[in-house]
Amino acid sequence: MKAGLLGIVGAMTMAVSAPMARAEYPERPITMIIPYGAGGTTDLSARTISEPLGKAVGQPLVMSNIAGAGGATGTVAVKNASADGYTMLFGRVGPHSVSPAMKAMLPYTLDDLRFVAVYEINPIVCVVDPKSGIQTVEDLVARVGEGGVTYSSSGVGSLQQIAAVMVLREFGVEDPVGAATHIPQKSDGEAATSVLNGTATFLCTNSSPLAGFVKAGQLHPLLTTSEERLEGFDAPSATELEKPALTRLVGWTGIAGPADLPDELVAQWSGWLATATEDPRFRQRMEASGSIIELMSPEDSDSFIRGQYEAIRALVDELGMRIEG
Amino acid sequence: MSMMDNLAAGFGLVANFQAILSLLIGVVIGTIGGAVPGISVTMSVALALPFTFAMAPINGILLLLGVYKGGVFGGSIPAILIKTPGTPASSATVLDGYPMAEKGEAGRALGMALWASCTADMISNLSLILFAGFLASFALSFRPPEFFTLILFSLTIISGVSGKSMLRGALSAVLGLMLATVGLDLIYGTNRFTFGNPNLMGGLNFIAVLIGLFAIPEIMAVIWSPGDEHGRARGLGANRVSLADYRRCFKAILRGSTIGVILGSIPGIGAAPSAFLSYSEARRKSPHRENFGKGEIEGVAAAEAGNNGVAGATLIPLLSLGIPGDVITAIIIGAFMIHGLQPGPLMFVTNADLIYGLFIGLILSSVFLFVVGSAAIRVFKYVADIPRSILFPGVLVLCVYGVFAVNNTIFDIGVMFAMGAVGFLMLRNDIPAAPFLIAYILGPLLEDNFRQAMLMSGGSPWILFSTPITWIFWALTLFSIVAIIRAAMTSNRQEQGSMGF
Repeated sequence: MKAGLLGIVGAMTMAVSAPMARAEYPERPITMIIPYGAGGTTDLSARTISEPLGKAVGQPLVMSNIAGAGGATGTVAVKNASADGYTMLFGRVGPHSVSPAMKAMLPYTLDDLRFVAVYEINPIVCVVDPKSGIQTVEDLVARVGEGGVTYSSSGVGSLQQIAAVMVLREFGVEDPVGAATHIPQKSDGEAATSVLNGTATFLCTNSSPLAGFVKAGQLHPLLTTSEERLEGFDAPSATELEKPALTRLVGWTGIAGPADLPDELVAQWSGWLATATEDPRFRQRMEASGSIIELMSPEDSDSFIRGQYEAIRALVDELGMRIEG
Repeated sequence: MSMMDNLAAGFGLVANFQAILSLLIGVVIGTIGGAVPGISVTMSVALALPFTFAMAPINGILLLLGVYKGGVFGGSIPAILIKTPGTPASSATVLDGYPMAEKGEAGRALGMALWASCTADMISNLSLILFAGFLASFALSFRPPEFFTLILFSLTIISGVSGKSMLRGALSAVLGLMLATVGLDLIYGTNRFTFGNPNLMGGLNFIAVLIGLFAIPEIMAVIWSPGDEHGRARGLGANRVSLADYRRCFKAILRGSTIGVILGSIPGIGAAPSAFLSYSEARRKSPHRENFGKGEIEGVAAAEAGNNGVAGATLIPLLSLGIPGDVITAIIIGAFMIHGLQPGPLMFVTNADLIYGLFIGLILSSVFLFVVGSAAIRVFKYVADIPRSILFPGVLVLCVYGVFAVNNTIFDIGVMFAMGAVGFLMLRNDIPAAPFLIAYILGPLLEDNFRQAMLMSGGSPWILFSTPITWIFWALTLFSIVAIIRAAMTSNRQEQGSMGF
């Protein structure tokens, strides 16, 4: 039934959009699919950029949350959409670099999307409960050797999961998957809560949701995956710790279309985003929550995402973390 | 600064035209959003969020809190009038609210919903102001083992909403538990019962299941047996809630508010389980127990007190720990952060005036809710006057639109109709829908927390008995089961002989 429905919808979209594609783009509102529910990090980032971006595009942007399955449902909706530039996707580190590297049965691959930009980067911070007595990454690694260390995440196939494993691995834990236990939670908020209430020993996640906890002394930061020290986090950076590989480990938000999105539309989007990301109010709002605004060209975005994907894929294969079911 | 200074500074923030207007607009938006099926409170708050970016912090946050509070009450309006919960939290209100509307007491049910909502809201706000510190430390002691035992206890609610036959209620609950297994497995990340369909990977959309289960079967029933009686209006009948009603339900409201405050302060539970727990407690304590489910006003009062009692309390973990208590407060955190504010213990030091301003605004919101709610009831109650032959096609359109709006997929509309067919079969066979819904909400929580607890302990079940909180909930669960069995043994109905627990 579903294939039939999609077929009909697809046919209708084609019938409507085919003649229009020749006209001046864009001449009608553009649907922007957010693959997460309202109120999350991705949604907030998307809705914040939608204001200056809408002005740059000159047509209304219809923000449409298609949540579910860690971003897969919304991604598939864009994969199946016509590449006329009227259906675009907000890309995010979880569904568009970590999940493809970890999940064999994902209903899409990176080749199904064409990225026009990455516009926001969030470094990762690893935190523990200050009462745990763990002061540095070395303390944590020693504790892993003793056993019983757990880490939380916002779910299987999330950046948090791979970040915890990658950090332990970089600091010399031979088999991080076996030596520490992963306790998946359902959201970023729950993942932080589980360290606060003692369910998990540590968590590595984007700096923005952690900033408040660290400032208030509820959580103690061990390291940041940035090159420089992060403001508000009294912890060494990956470069200081001489682990340059960890600087790849960052969250990001970008915009993508279906795989066969024409070059001229990609160029148009890149231009619009250049205008939008210069908007001072947008920058101020995003930076207030700990993000770094950095617009990448379509080519750079693609190689950045693929580079991150390859690094994660290599780790996943090496440690046998791939999910086959 | 002393508390008095903070209070004065807080007054200074709130006592201006914009702040009060923002709060009022918020309550109005929330009530309307909540009253439209498919537009959940979460969605209303998310849609209002971008508009608050340009406002002063206190005004923006007050507007969002207004939307939240208005929405939780607004959901009861369609629950009572057209058997379609406007938000998941108002599902329990359907159980007695809709039968009351059928009896021509829509106005009375709506009035009680409003009174109970405002009372619970006020109690919840006061608890936030007075006991935030205490309740926050309590909330932090809820880890997966404690959650597991709490949810296990909550499942005993099913006996309270099963109606006459426990077996039928259990059957309904089992169906709900089974349907809830569809989607991604939390611990392994593998697909369960998705048949390779990406639409199923996220599980079945909760709103689609909810509307399919409650509203669609009513519409199908009319199509099934068309007749003259559908052309007539139900009439308004006893139309207003009386002070005597309120006094009679006051204990249930207090109990519901307390349940709401406690469950609301624990992150991750939400308003729907609280409403059901409050409802089942009211039924257990009531001398008119047999009237529950047939249009008992105390049932409406308990359900609405249970879900509104949560609204203020979810701010306890938010303000005192920086942890969002539910999806809605997670969005509200966004509003704080956009303004460079970080909810959490430091905020009481760095932005005490804002906190006290919020407290004053919250108290005010209960009053606004009463005013706006009264106006809304006056407008909406005439829906009960519309003959079904005209009303139901309209409801159907609204349901389709609402379900589509949640996630913008046509697949969800299919889910709604499929669940509608299931719900219709259940209705024809006297299988109650409420146990299905409770199981559908609580089942995944039970499973996830159990498995997280097992990961914590490395597979040892003793972790489920490791803290005093778990002992309390084990005892309560045992007590409930014994009470259910005793009630079943003393009653002579034959169905009970075969009940499973």
